Amino acid sequence: MFRLGAFQIARASLASSARNYATLREIETRLKSIKNIEKITKTMKIVASTRLSRAEKAMACSRYFQGADRDFFEAAGTKAEDKAEKVLLITVSSDKGLCGAIHSSVTKLTKKKLAEYPDADIVCIGEKAKVQLLRTNADGIKLTFAGSGKAAPTFKEAALISDEIEKLGTYDRVEVIYNRFASSMSFDSSAAPLYGKASIALSKNLSTFDIEEDSNVVDAFSQFSIANTIFSAMSEGYASEVCARRNAMDNASKNAGDMIQKYSILYNRTRQAAITNELVDIITGASSLN
Amino acid sequence: MFRHTIRAASKVNRLVGFRTYAEAAAPKATAASNKLRLSIALPHQTVLKDKDVFQVNIPAATGDMGILANHVPVIEQLRPGIVEIFDSPSHSDKFFISGGFASVMPNSKMDILSVEAAALKDFDSAAVKSQLADAKKNLDSTNENVAAEASIEVEVLEALNAALSK
Repeated sequence: MFRLGAFQIARASLASSARNYATLREIETRLKSIKNIEKITKTMKIVASTRLSRAEKAMACSRYFQGADRDFFEAAGTKAEDKAEKVLLITVSSDKGLCGAIHSSVTKLTKKKLAEYPDADIVCIGEKAKVQLLRTNADGIKLTFAGSGKAAPTFKEAALISDEIEKLGTYDRVEVIYNRFASSMSFDSSAAPLYGKASIALSKNLSTFDIEEDSNVVDAFSQFSIANTIFSAMSEGYASEVCARRNAMDNASKNAGDMIQKYSILYNRTRQAAITNELVDIITGASSLN
Repeated sequence: MFRHTIRAASKVNRLVGFRTYAEAAAPKATAASNKLRLSIALPHQTVLKDKDVFQVNIPAATGDMGILANHVPVIEQLRPGIVEIFDSPSHSDKFFISGGFASVMPNSKMDILSVEAAALKDFDSAAVKSQLADAKKNLDSTNENVAAEASIEVEVLEALNAALSK
């Protein structure tokens, strides 16, 4: 009976040590996967950082490029019409995630605008905004563009997009909703108006400009400035996104580092516990033989 | 959209004389007020930023024009051609632009917006000629898009070729 008891104890301790080994292995695989994740997030952070300086430069150029348009609209006193029946909202985001709240921030502003103009039509540039807006405003979405925002946007892209948007017809009021690049730590979602031919023609100070009656300068200029505004919105959005991704990946790497530290301590502790257990087993075994 | 711009430009009579620095017309005012603040911006690059210049000659769709300080506010569509910038009465820089817009603000600030621009001296005339020959081949293409693209190319390259051989 005694022997039987000892046998049982031995079996129980074997089982428990086996369990220890299992958790040890579990912790080890977990640790390994976190280390791999850290490697990935670190690399993504480096990629984002290298892209950031270029994106910021491109953004500064596009902002200056668009500034000339804005000067003109200011001097001419162009403003969007107050009563707007047909409204178009152009939401600028991109296809890729892992960059914090950048996409939900533009969709939030879009939804806020939609509360103001419930019947507004929506154009989505980028899959992320489309997916988020499809849930609530599937009917309003008239046009979506995918594949933008992989690299810094080009004027050609913006011109093609504005060409497609123009085919939707005329609107009383068009707004572009995008993430404005504020600093390398922050962005704010804002809305920029697009002025069509009609709004420009109605500008109160347009007469200060010497424009020939029969020329189509105003028409052409409005087309140009629409492409221009979309381009600038895309560039700002891209810079904000790259920046947000860098910050998000920085945080993720830090968190992964913390977890790695915790798990290594846990791993070592468990390992030592297992060793101690084994030693106890050996000693009890040896003493029972005596 | 650009096709539209360029079509409009091509209708313009090219025989308009090229205006050069209009010395007689320069306002005899203080040095500060007879300068034009010029900016040339491209989507991907800022070529000039608030540079003080005497006169700018632009290839407007309605004919080449020279702009001095205190010009009446204006907005002009540009066709592909040369923008000549006089930073002093005797010295000028030439840029080739692919078309766009020029606007003069009430405070003698001038903006030129173009999709592409480069200094004229940076162009290689042999490359221009060979590309022009290629583009002309595509002009009669049955594919409408190819033909349209080629007609824009020919338009820009011919302007460039003319500018280089001047």
